[in-house]
Amino acid sequence: MRLTRKSDTPRNGGLGISRRQFLKHSGATTGGLAAAGFMGAPMMQRSEAAEKTAWSDAPVETKRTVCSHCSVGCGVYAEVQEGVWTKQEPAFDHPINRGAHCAKGASLRQHGHSSRRLKYPMKLVGGEWQRLSWEEAIEQIGNKVLELTEQHGPDSIYWLGSAKFNNEQAYLMRKFAALAGTNNTDHQARICHSTTVAGVANTWGYGAMTNSLNDIQNSKSIMFIGSNPSEAHPIAMQHILLAKEKSQAEIIVVDPRFTRTAAKADSYVRIRPGSDVAFIWGLLWHIFENGWEDQTYIDQRVYAMDEVRAEVAQFPPSVVENITGVGEESMRDTARRLAENRPGCIVWCMGGTQHTTGNNNTRAYCILELALGNIGKSGGGANIFRGHDNVQGATDLGLMSHSLPGYYGLSEGAWKHWARVWDLDYEWLKSRFDQAEYADGKPMYSSGITVSRWIDGVLEQEEDISQRTRLKAMFYWGHAVNSQTRGPEMQKAMQQLEMMVIVDPYPTVAGVMHDRQDGVFLLPAATQFETTGSVTATNRSIQWRDQVIEPLFESKPDHEIMYLLARKLGFGDELVKNFQMNGNQPLIEDITREFNAGMWTVGYTGQSPERLKAHQQNWHTFSFRDLRAEGGPADGDYYGLPWPCWGTAEMGHPGTPILYDTSKKVSEGGLTFRARFGIERDGENILADGSYSQDSDLEDGYPEFTDTMLKDLGWWDELTDAEKAEADGKNWKTDLSGGIQRVAIAHECSPFGNAKARCNVWTFPDPIPKHREPLYTSRRDLVEDYPTWDDVASHYRLPTLYKTIQEKDVTGEYPIILTSGRLVEYEGGGEETRSMSWLAELQQEMFVEINPALANDLAIAEGDMVWVEGAEGGRVKVKAMVTPRVAREVVFMPFHFGGMFQGESLQDRYPEGSAPYVLGEAANTATTYGYDSVTQMQETKCTLCRIEKAS
Amino acid sequence: MATMKFMCDAERCIECNGCVTACKNANEVDWGIQRRRVVTLNDGEPSEVSISVACMHCDDAPCIAVCPTETLYQRDDGIVLHDKDLCIGCGYCLYACPFGAPQFPKENAFGERGKMDKCTFCAGGPAETKEEEYQKYGANRIAEGKLPLCAEMCSTKALLAGDAQEVADIFRQRVVQRGHKDGAWSGNPRAETDSLAYDATQQG
Amino acid sequence: MNRSTPWRALWRLPLLLLALVASLAVAQLALAQADPEREAATAVPAVDADVWRQIKSGETGPNYRDSRYASDYNLINASGETWRMLRERWVSPFGVIVIVGMIAVIALFYLMVGRKKLDEPRTGRKLLRWSLLVRSLHWTVASLFIVLALTGLNLAYGKAVFRPIFGDGAWAAMMSGTKLIHNYLGPLFGILLVVLLVRLLADNIPRKHDLAWFAKGGGLVGKGHPDAGFANGGEKVWYWLLATAGIAVIVSGLVLDFPNYGQGRDTMQWANLIHGVGAFGLTAVALGHIYIGTLGTEGSFEGMATGYVDETWAKEHHNLWYDEVKDQAIPEAQVNAARSAGSGDQPASG
Repeated sequence: MRLTRKSDTPRNGGLGISRRQFLKHSGATTGGLAAAGFMGAPMMQRSEAAEKTAWSDAPVETKRTVCSHCSVGCGVYAEVQEGVWTKQEPAFDHPINRGAHCAKGASLRQHGHSSRRLKYPMKLVGGEWQRLSWEEAIEQIGNKVLELTEQHGPDSIYWLGSAKFNNEQAYLMRKFAALAGTNNTDHQARICHSTTVAGVANTWGYGAMTNSLNDIQNSKSIMFIGSNPSEAHPIAMQHILLAKEKSQAEIIVVDPRFTRTAAKADSYVRIRPGSDVAFIWGLLWHIFENGWEDQTYIDQRVYAMDEVRAEVAQFPPSVVENITGVGEESMRDTARRLAENRPGCIVWCMGGTQHTTGNNNTRAYCILELALGNIGKSGGGANIFRGHDNVQGATDLGLMSHSLPGYYGLSEGAWKHWARVWDLDYEWLKSRFDQAEYADGKPMYSSGITVSRWIDGVLEQEEDISQRTRLKAMFYWGHAVNSQTRGPEMQKAMQQLEMMVIVDPYPTVAGVMHDRQDGVFLLPAATQFETTGSVTATNRSIQWRDQVIEPLFESKPDHEIMYLLARKLGFGDELVKNFQMNGNQPLIEDITREFNAGMWTVGYTGQSPERLKAHQQNWHTFSFRDLRAEGGPADGDYYGLPWPCWGTAEMGHPGTPILYDTSKKVSEGGLTFRARFGIERDGENILADGSYSQDSDLEDGYPEFTDTMLKDLGWWDELTDAEKAEADGKNWKTDLSGGIQRVAIAHECSPFGNAKARCNVWTFPDPIPKHREPLYTSRRDLVEDYPTWDDVASHYRLPTLYKTIQEKDVTGEYPIILTSGRLVEYEGGGEETRSMSWLAELQQEMFVEINPALANDLAIAEGDMVWVEGAEGGRVKVKAMVTPRVAREVVFMPFHFGGMFQGESLQDRYPEGSAPYVLGEAANTATTYGYDSVTQMQETKCTLCRIEKAS
Repeated sequence: MATMKFMCDAERCIECNGCVTACKNANEVDWGIQRRRVVTLNDGEPSEVSISVACMHCDDAPCIAVCPTETLYQRDDGIVLHDKDLCIGCGYCLYACPFGAPQFPKENAFGERGKMDKCTFCAGGPAETKEEEYQKYGANRIAEGKLPLCAEMCSTKALLAGDAQEVADIFRQRVVQRGHKDGAWSGNPRAETDSLAYDATQQG
Repeated sequence: MNRSTPWRALWRLPLLLLALVASLAVAQLALAQADPEREAATAVPAVDADVWRQIKSGETGPNYRDSRYASDYNLINASGETWRMLRERWVSPFGVIVIVGMIAVIALFYLMVGRKKLDEPRTGRKLLRWSLLVRSLHWTVASLFIVLALTGLNLAYGKAVFRPIFGDGAWAAMMSGTKLIHNYLGPLFGILLVVLLVRLLADNIPRKHDLAWFAKGGGLVGKGHPDAGFANGGEKVWYWLLATAGIAVIVSGLVLDFPNYGQGRDTMQWANLIHGVGAFGLTAVALGHIYIGTLGTEGSFEGMATGYVDETWAKEHHNLWYDEVKDQAIPEAQVNAARSAGSGDQPASG
């Protein structure tokens, strides 16, 4: 027995330091009685002891809500006593999480107690924060907006919205921007899954997760590529591990890092960042080579797979190994596992989406699953795990610069549709916009600037921007800025704006990184626990949240703030025309009803507030295996009425748990691939061939339903007279009566048609996905064969560079690949979660993960402070964490930190008492230019950097 | 009488730290003190495994044996509680505990450590009133017929808590389901060959 | 037919057995075959003997992570149990045995041998043996020692003895006070003891005649007194015990008392054991020292109480020292005068 262990010795590096703790021997190791250490340095970081919630015997009200962090959508029982959120109980009967939570969900109650909240409106004057009243703030902000609109036009204001809005607020925000006369609005989806939505929707109709987390339990193989659910969607792991245990699922993780998910995998494949398409083609090479594809499925439901074959033929094992770093054995083994274990699904997240070739990646993933015949089956699917709690909802509700709610787009038809729903005169609406025409067309019909490019909207030459002027003012409404790239340029952009308005429960990094003296407003918004509304989880289920507590301090719910601003700007009445008002707050349920009345494209029409609330009150009736209610008030429904929930609420469609599943009747949640791209292409039929839904009256492919089609089919008379009156001259998307949809479904047909999924998206820069090297690549030898695109003169109103960036070889100075990602304790830009002590305690310092061999090359030891300098000169000072998680040529930084900028702490710039507990450098200070060729997604997953020890 | 125990199924633990913050949620322990911690071995390597550890409420608890003031005691249901009024902050329980469960808010000269704090299995501690109990020890969920919040909120149901027999049953079911011949932590030679095709005819 | 039936019928039995065994083997094979697939599918990759060894040994590698901030704890610290066993089974009983035993031995000795009286009558002339400084030091150190010993014993054994007597309210306060006293006075004791030891070092260097002193049992064996200098053999043993075990107790005590220097648990466990063994041992021997210095030897106590000893006592117990200083003897009457005059701080020395 040895009593002396290595754990005796203080951790001066020998034992390694975890990602979760860096030992601070503040003065304790300096000798002498005079040292501070003699009297003992308290282990507590902070000297104030937190006060516990007061004990109360008051009656307990139990509220049902949903976690506001990620999109898994975990149910929560919040227990409130006398208006104080005193307890949080696990919701064991919730069908998605069964009471489980990750670190963030388990600490939700602290939302009701965080002392670091923004408490009242503030304005920056002479570098100091001054308090304002709401009236004053709205008045001053409104006046400035009116002034700028007058001088420079409505497009000079950017209304950046949030994935943390509930559905009603997201919808209202989009409406707000429209009434304000601009398409310059966006939210986090742009920098998260925009390439997914574009790529996937253009492949088979909708760009959302096809199955559900629960359904993953039925998968026989699950491939995670660029996804780390153990940290980003921990509750999804409950389902995934059940799949592993109960269905003997093969778990394959493809990632540049050996993630926590890889630790639970059967097979881990290390891939070079940015080589996803080559990897997928490499898998397909083996699949085609061995005849493992599902040819029947392809014949019936897929168009242009032969073109894919031709492309894949150029990716034999040697080429794939050269590009991705994955050897032939491993590729074949992975392909075999997928082929032999069906139905299987693929899961991808930011690792696949955040590239200049994001839209290629996402389509390649879809094509893989189509080849295997996995789409539209239980246990199969393209399972896209979305990010923020309501990024799916905000995307669906159209809070984007290129569309209106429901993905209607920005065509005149789309605007007319929504003008009808909003009960506003179309001409009036049109008059709100800048009438001139620019490179992209007229602003009303052309996509606005994206959040990923807003800084260029400020810094770019005015004549190169496809609107009248540069951006002059910006609203950061529930959106962090340290999640966008090019931090140093962002700071410059912030200084050039005439006004910044941050609307958020916390000051956020935007409030402190600007280095301005004035012209910055902070408006305290309430969290989702201080208001009510619906939220859409990643599996398309819509959940209703109760209000847990009243807004803290002087914060207001977002929809109230929107109304106050709209009123000041002169379109308040129009904004809330159809809503009952309670003081300055539009009634949330009325907003739900309004979008129910208009979102026929994605089937957000059947989820009335009443049905959603019934689901909320009856969690226990829904099955954990397939989300279906067995008995109870919602009998037959799928939990949350996953969209598309066709027709009106009265029709009672149960929701669509698995997209494109032809084994079920459409009226019971089945679906086909959407006929979105026409009937034929180059003379070839692109409607489904011999594949149709269970009990469908049309036993073949068919186009989307219009009034004409109903008349041709002889089904027109099944409409009621009222329906006929409305539906005449309309199609399934614009018929506000819902009659066309109802009749189509009565015949077990999908209202949107029955087509083939297409592998060739002829409207994209690369119709068949291609591998292209990242803009900042360490493989100069591959640039010649796999170059990026030519520069684009105007995309989303801005010139976008590709070739110009890529042709510069910076590998001499910046030889290391830099990638970024998530931690389980924090979320997004991190201001909210770093302001919650229970979470902040777990991750107190920003760091960079460096491989041990690389660390030795750079003479860096664990715990050293290092400068990580990105290829465009932005540098961050962070702590080195030496770990074999990353490959030798790759380093990783989490992106959740903020509050320090290039070595300097910004703590003093926060309003008194509202700095987060933990500050750190933002990873995106060091990241670089690079935007997807279809959606302007930023390339944060692969850039270049160099690292040196900080002296 | 039921014997209350914790058990963490390391095959399910994904180091999400939900248990750590759930405990904070229920008991509101000060910054710097985490009653429950998650330990990861071989972080970043193929043999990475995580496990959540807090007081294990041992049957023959070393902490109880070495405490000079009898601060620690064991209930009939096996839960080891502590009485903050008696604690003198000597630290012996910490030295004795194999799991590092006891923690102290300070570590100052003259052995001033403050009062020991540790996992109570969400069963509170000795106090006159409920307010006092909550202030000193945190939640008493056991008295309400509930289980510790850490286990109730575990993201993958890795952490189990409750009657030892029931916990063992649940775990045994999992082991059987996973097909292990000799318990859940079995060695697996196949893992060495993870990049090659696995030959199913080979005997494990 | 009758005769062949018994053994011939038995041929079926081995066949049956063979079939049974074969079927079992097949079943075993089938089971074994079924298992690896699923087992492999769900086992945490390579949690093998090496990982177990790592856990059991308590070592933490470079890739060991703990969610607790600034923690250097391993997963399972087995040394705690070892420490507890050593404490419960060895150190604790040791303390009881040596202290109670010493009390018993002293009592027995006193009853059987009795007080050591002076052989010759007192002359009434006094020699200054202990200066004011040394006396002050000694009594301070002695008082501290006693307080520390009592509080230390309370910390070690109190719960078995006092808690049943006192009841909870008083118990908490008493233990709190005990710990405060022990932890705050301990370092003070340490400093003062070191000063005292330094002060008395010169007188306590071991000499050859000390061996002879021991051979004669310090005078118990045979007649007459063995040679002794300022300090006799026994006193030197006490001195050196304090200078070794005492220092060990002090050092270990400081390690325990100042945990703010990042000592690991294992260090504290060792320190606790050393502190305990040393302290119990010293307490036991101290009891002996106290006996000899008070009840046990006539003429000794007044030396440390007043500073002066009688010539006779000096001649009998410390003859070598007496020879050096006998001409500095002063009559008793002068002692008081000398003391009030402020002199008398210089002990008689050669």
